[in-house]
Amino acid sequence: MSLYVYAITKPSHPLRLDDLKGVGESPSELRVVHGDSLCAVVSEAPDDLSIARRDLEAHSAVQERLWSEGTSLPLSFGFVAQDEDAVRAVLEQGAEQYSQRLAELTDRVEFNVKGVQDEDALLQQIVEESPRVRELNEATREGRGSYEQRLELGQLVAQEVQSRHEALAAQIVAALRPLVYAENLSPPSEQYFVNASFLVDREKSEAFTEASRELGEQLPEGVELRLNGPLPPYSFA
Amino acid sequence: MTITPGGGAVPAPTQGSGNLYDVLELVLDRGLVIDAFVRVSLVGIEIAKVDARVVVASVDTYLRFAEACNRLDLEAGRKAPAQLPDVMERVTEGGAKGKSKGALSGAVEAFTESLQKGRHDEIESGERPRRGKEERREREPVERGSERRSSREREE
Repeated sequence: MSLYVYAITKPSHPLRLDDLKGVGESPSELRVVHGDSLCAVVSEAPDDLSIARRDLEAHSAVQERLWSEGTSLPLSFGFVAQDEDAVRAVLEQGAEQYSQRLAELTDRVEFNVKGVQDEDALLQQIVEESPRVRELNEATREGRGSYEQRLELGQLVAQEVQSRHEALAAQIVAALRPLVYAENLSPPSEQYFVNASFLVDREKSEAFTEASRELGEQLPEGVELRLNGPLPPYSFA
Repeated sequence: MTITPGGGAVPAPTQGSGNLYDVLELVLDRGLVIDAFVRVSLVGIEIAKVDARVVVASVDTYLRFAEACNRLDLEAGRKAPAQLPDVMERVTEGGAKGKSKGALSGAVEAFTESLQKGRHDEIESGERPRRGKEERREREPVERGSERRSSREREE
């Protein structure tokens, strides 16, 4: 029977799992596979695993429970081992590495910070502040102007958008950095100009939340900062 | 800047999985990966990782920005203070979906919707409504962070 694997913990973890549901339509009970020095939390792998709410929630609920009661290494969603022996082999082979990670994550939590900027508001600002952009924009409105002018306009605007996003992202990360133990930054995407995860000492959680709130208040109009956490340390496992 | 729509938008720290959408990529993409285990093949997992799409510098991007600038209502913009409540409202409304204009935002919306409804179906890329702009942008072949390219892009 193949096993869905949730997380790796030390045997000293309370591993209170009885009222939790695993993944799948009719989830099997969560149980623990014991290796020599580490354990893995598993359930029987369902045939119908999907990335819809049911299974994602079940996976995260297990991570949050484990994390709230001890230290664990959360696996990414969707990993299945052939059987208990395969799980034990992994625990054995990776024992040193996993133990080190667990030690480093003890008493720390993850916060994820995402920044979204209203694009129209940003473009409006750029048009207002750059004479050349304004000129080209006037020249190319309502289908007027040449392809080269449109291209130049778009290129200037793209550069402005990028440099403004980079500056904002740098400001945000710099403001939070003093409070964090480690950081994991995603490259800016079309959706978020900043997407950063921070590993924060549990005792600094409140200070971090407060700092993020203050930072959100200082940001320009049209910029939204979204804070999620404290979370299990997905980004630092 | 003294106007602070962003401030009110910082949510209280989330508890449980109430805000699953915002931590989706963490759960899908950030946890420990163990090579000796098999990752179950999941329909839609690449779509769900849409956040990984990096903004690319390409002619297509430039033309889209030019078009977006052309569309701005400049008269309204010059009366900026009167427009602020509108901006704030839109930012707030953006909520979980943000102001994404990304190539696959339609898919993410469909995905979010499925999460919100608690449906158990897998996400089929074909079931989402598509807008012309998105279709065009989806064909952009250039992408940094190539390790995160979707299977669709790899085929190109």
